Amino acid sequence: MISPEFSTGLTLVLYSLALGTGFAGLLARQPAWRKCGCVLAVTAFACQTLTLALGFHKALPDGLSVGAYFQLMAWFVVLCGSIAWAKMRQESTLIFAALLGCLLFLLSTPYLTSVVRVPTFLSKPFYALHIGALFLSLALLAMAFAAGGIFLFLESRIKSKRSVKGFWKDMPALSLLDKVNAFTVLTGYPLYTLGIFSGIVWAKPAFGAFMTGDPKEVLSIIIWLLFSLLFYNRLTRNWKGRKPAQCAVGIFFLCLFSILVVNTLMPSHHAFVRN
Amino acid sequence: MDSDIVLVGLNHRTAGVDIRERFALTEYCDPERWALPCTDAIRESVILSTCNRVELLAAGKGDLEEQMLRDWAHVRHATPSELAPYVYIYKNQEAVRHLFSVASSLDSMVVGEPQILGQLKAAYRKAVSNHSTGAILNRLLHKAFSVAKRVRTETSVASSAVSISYAAVALAKRIFGDMQAHKAMLAGAGEMAELAARHLLQAGISEILVANRTLARGEALARQFSGRAIPFETMTHHLAEVDIVITSTAAQESIIRASDIRAVLKMRKNRPMFFIDIAVPRNVDPDVNGLDNVYLYDIDDLREVVEENMAVRRDEAAKAREIVSEEVQHFSTWLADLDVQPTIVDLIQRGESLAQKELEKTLKRLGPVDSGTRAALEAMVEALIHKFNHAPLMFLKNGGMAQEGNAQRISLVRRIFDLDASCSHSEGQ
Repeated sequence: MISPEFSTGLTLVLYSLALGTGFAGLLARQPAWRKCGCVLAVTAFACQTLTLALGFHKALPDGLSVGAYFQLMAWFVVLCGSIAWAKMRQESTLIFAALLGCLLFLLSTPYLTSVVRVPTFLSKPFYALHIGALFLSLALLAMAFAAGGIFLFLESRIKSKRSVKGFWKDMPALSLLDKVNAFTVLTGYPLYTLGIFSGIVWAKPAFGAFMTGDPKEVLSIIIWLLFSLLFYNRLTRNWKGRKPAQCAVGIFFLCLFSILVVNTLMPSHHAFVRN
Repeated sequence: MDSDIVLVGLNHRTAGVDIRERFALTEYCDPERWALPCTDAIRESVILSTCNRVELLAAGKGDLEEQMLRDWAHVRHATPSELAPYVYIYKNQEAVRHLFSVASSLDSMVVGEPQILGQLKAAYRKAVSNHSTGAILNRLLHKAFSVAKRVRTETSVASSAVSISYAAVALAKRIFGDMQAHKAMLAGAGEMAELAARHLLQAGISEILVANRTLARGEALARQFSGRAIPFETMTHHLAEVDIVITSTAAQESIIRASDIRAVLKMRKNRPMFFIDIAVPRNVDPDVNGLDNVYLYDIDDLREVVEENMAVRRDEAAKAREIVSEEVQHFSTWLADLDVQPTIVDLIQRGESLAQKELEKTLKRLGPVDSGTRAALEAMVEALIHKFNHAPLMFLKNGGMAQEGNAQRISLVRRIFDLDASCSHSEGQ
């Protein structure tokens, strides 16, 4: 019988192998190694999916333990990376997604055994919608961040007529990176909006008010406004290239701050539940 | 070594183009005569003649280089003394090293260029069809091809663009990726701009618009690129539909200004544009590069890219030379082993013949024996001979004492085991 510890260990080993092979392929500019890294990353993802599907982590269906949060986040990030790899045949997108996924997965492991008793208000359908939509949009934002970061570096090199060296030569073309940004923003924003508004609707019966002034709520609204600005300009004012890339990077940093600082250090009803 | 390998040649470093033309062997090397005359000295030969080098490679014994020079000069109606000042001669290991360097494009005018390997393969094919190659040159040329492949795989000696037109296309690919959905415009008609347009077509660009002050010339160019000619005056109206613009007109001031491009970008919904300005004076206002989603490279920028790429190739060439040295060593070992092969064969045959004679004598003395005893005796004799031969065979194969050459080792083994007498005896029989 497969134990939760075994499946978690196996997923971690597979992710580590995927990253080792993938990054070695990027640095040594070996396409075969990069491809091998991607195949390993997809295998690790399948293993992680199995782990989640079998409900090994009791915390997962019960609520937002730190472990469950990062596990799900990692899963969504690698899912988006895998889709991007399948669609665009760019190994670097999946390798970077696997790196982020692996880090999140690694962060989750010490807390996987935490069992959370779920307050009744967390079991409403709106809660699942709130979390599902936000996680998927955050995973898309992570991709927008990676594509944006690479775009900004490469574009500055080309614009200033400096050479592109080493593994940067194998990075996707600027147009493709911009397309990734467009796709992730145009799909991520509606999901983020859905996540935010389902949260607001669900907050009324749960906490007695649509907005409670919770730090996480305030920051999420700020992020949503910035995301709206990016979405609007991308859609109607034909923003392309540097500006949307800078915005995506900035918004993702705010999201990271929200997850890593607000959820862990600030008094909030969004704070991670621990034993 | 029983055979020497000699390479006699001249190239772009040792001879100017007039000399290379004079001593080129292209007409001499028609399919029927793609080889040096086979003599007692020259047993195998291959001739490589390209615009940058003429090289004669031969394997044989004796005064090879003198005969090669004489034949070469004779074919070109010259004397060896006229040819000699421009010629380099490499023997054995150095000849192998030079050939490997040529095949790997380390000796080319543009290090890393891919044509030389194809030319060498063609030269070898012709030599093979003329039956002028044998065991040594066949092995040597095949090894040269595999070394070239290894150099290309393990180093970046051929990875970056080293011509201005190709560097421009490489940059376009970095911006646009797949070129099939993109269009280019050629404004003016310089040689370098035409070359860049040709590279773009090879990269898969969907259409090329040609704007030239003389419409007829523009139409002729457009036909070459299967493109479309437009009147030069309407060029700015067409900017919105193209992604790459190559300018090389003789205009004395900018024909494309930043203010024009701002309007064009609005029409293009901010889709990126790449300007390649090959003209001097420049045709595109440098401020254009300051606009978002617009990239401008002039001739100096492209030259810098090419120089950087050349420097990268030079660094990689050092790594490639290490690979060549390693492979030269492997080939030399194989060549040295060729010399000892006949002695090894003689030694084994001598052992087998002695064993057979002694076995027959013993069996006669024993009288009738059962098949089991006979098989045991045969196995014992065979094992004894194997063990007895092991030490001298290892001595021959591994080089014995380091300071001794192959000839000395072979001579020692032949004398100790009296191989020459036993071989002539068996030949006499």
